[in-house]
Amino acid sequence: MNPLGRSARMALGVAGLLLIALISMVSNRRALISGASSLPWGAGAVMDVAVPVQKTMAVPVDVVRDAWRDYVDLLDVRQENASLREQVWHLEEDNLQLREALVASGRLERIADMRDDFEIPMLPAELVGGGVSPWFRSVMFDRGHGDGVRAGMPVISEQGLVGLVTAASRRASQTMLLLDRQSAVDGTIQRSRARGMVRGRGGDELAFEFVARGGDVQVGDVVITSGLGGVYPKGLRVGEITRVSDPGSRLLQTATLAPAVDFGRLEQVFVMLRRGPTMELLYSGAGPDAEPTNTESGLAATRGAAAAEPTP
Amino acid sequence: MKPAVALLGVGMFAILLQGVLASLIPAALTPDLSFLLVVALGTRLRSTGTGLLLASGLGYLADLFSGSLLGLHALLRVLAFGAARLCSRQLNLRGALPQAVFVGFLTLVNALGVAALTAFFSPEAGFGVPPLGTLLLHAFVNAIFGPLVAGGCEVILAFAGEDDRGRHLLRLEARSYRS
Repeated sequence: MNPLGRSARMALGVAGLLLIALISMVSNRRALISGASSLPWGAGAVMDVAVPVQKTMAVPVDVVRDAWRDYVDLLDVRQENASLREQVWHLEEDNLQLREALVASGRLERIADMRDDFEIPMLPAELVGGGVSPWFRSVMFDRGHGDGVRAGMPVISEQGLVGLVTAASRRASQTMLLLDRQSAVDGTIQRSRARGMVRGRGGDELAFEFVARGGDVQVGDVVITSGLGGVYPKGLRVGEITRVSDPGSRLLQTATLAPAVDFGRLEQVFVMLRRGPTMELLYSGAGPDAEPTNTESGLAATRGAAAAEPTP
Repeated sequence: MKPAVALLGVGMFAILLQGVLASLIPAALTPDLSFLLVVALGTRLRSTGTGLLLASGLGYLADLFSGSLLGLHALLRVLAFGAARLCSRQLNLRGALPQAVFVGFLTLVNALGVAALTAFFSPEAGFGVPPLGTLLLHAFVNAIFGPLVAGGCEVILAFAGEDDRGRHLLRLEARSYRS
């Protein structure tokens, strides 16, 4: 065989594979922008096959993990019990006072009327596996579009907001965690109502970006979803501020946020069976001139849009 | 065909195992098994064409289970295979230490590739290279597991009759000419 012809064929083969990969990326991105909710057939089938296999593989791992956790938990259970009892007592007292205040201000009735807005059907799902790339923070759950799950649906746990479904096959779905670099959620400081953008950093912490001027943000503040834009219900716990950086002369100030959800212990979640315009927001990248409502509660409005948002 | 199918099966298993491990231990401490397999194939597999197809296939599987754009890891795996192939012709990548160093270096390059492609295709995320500590830790973990995966790969290739031991056994005798 002519060696030159052989190496030329090999080079062509490599170029072909690279081109296919590039085309695949472009088409995948276009599909995400257009809101396509399910994976290509072959990819979906592989994911469906993977779910039972991965579940089986996880059994011994779960046994070891549960045994270890039970042991660690038992070590200080007595102390924790006493502390929790005290907390419950305080919370009950706070709850009573708040109820009194609400009744007094006539808001209880209005809240009861609003309850319907928050009653979104939720589907429990179980974690099957983590993302295989350390550069992307995602997880796979055992529910897919056969159960009604679609890309763009929010995922929560009892601790707070987990992330967003990015792809779904028939029996499985991929969820981008809040920690992912591509993730951004519009949040509000519960205490001061200062608004900002919660962004993933790829690590175990989140960043809360807010307009420095007038933004009242302190260490210990709880960040919740703002609820505007129709993707997430208002009031989902996102995390707690742990550090506020000095803004210097910058317009945007950044605070570090500890996520409310312990992603290392994530096992069971709930998929909110309501699809918002999130995927479009995520990939269309609203510009600085975008209407505030376009950037209010999706993942990943652009930095420009975040900067353009007024802080009430 | 037989070794290719066997290796694809092993690659799929490696990715699923990696997914299970990733739900247990921090991501940076989880070895990137499919990446290591591709690098091992680059230094050991006889057929370049089969290796390229396998690298691409394993890359697509990694895309599917990592939440990245479909094709991102496929592209980088093809490049990683090519780099391993070319370097193994010039350098001695057979020993454990050279392999570990090479894998560690390639992990760092791969991370930069992921960051660059993500920034290009998802500009909202920006160009975000992971913190240096995480990057080096992951490179170190991969470097430790690299020679092990390469050893496993050698066993599979030998089992599938695709190892290149035959090349070492070939003896070239010098011809003797009588004047």
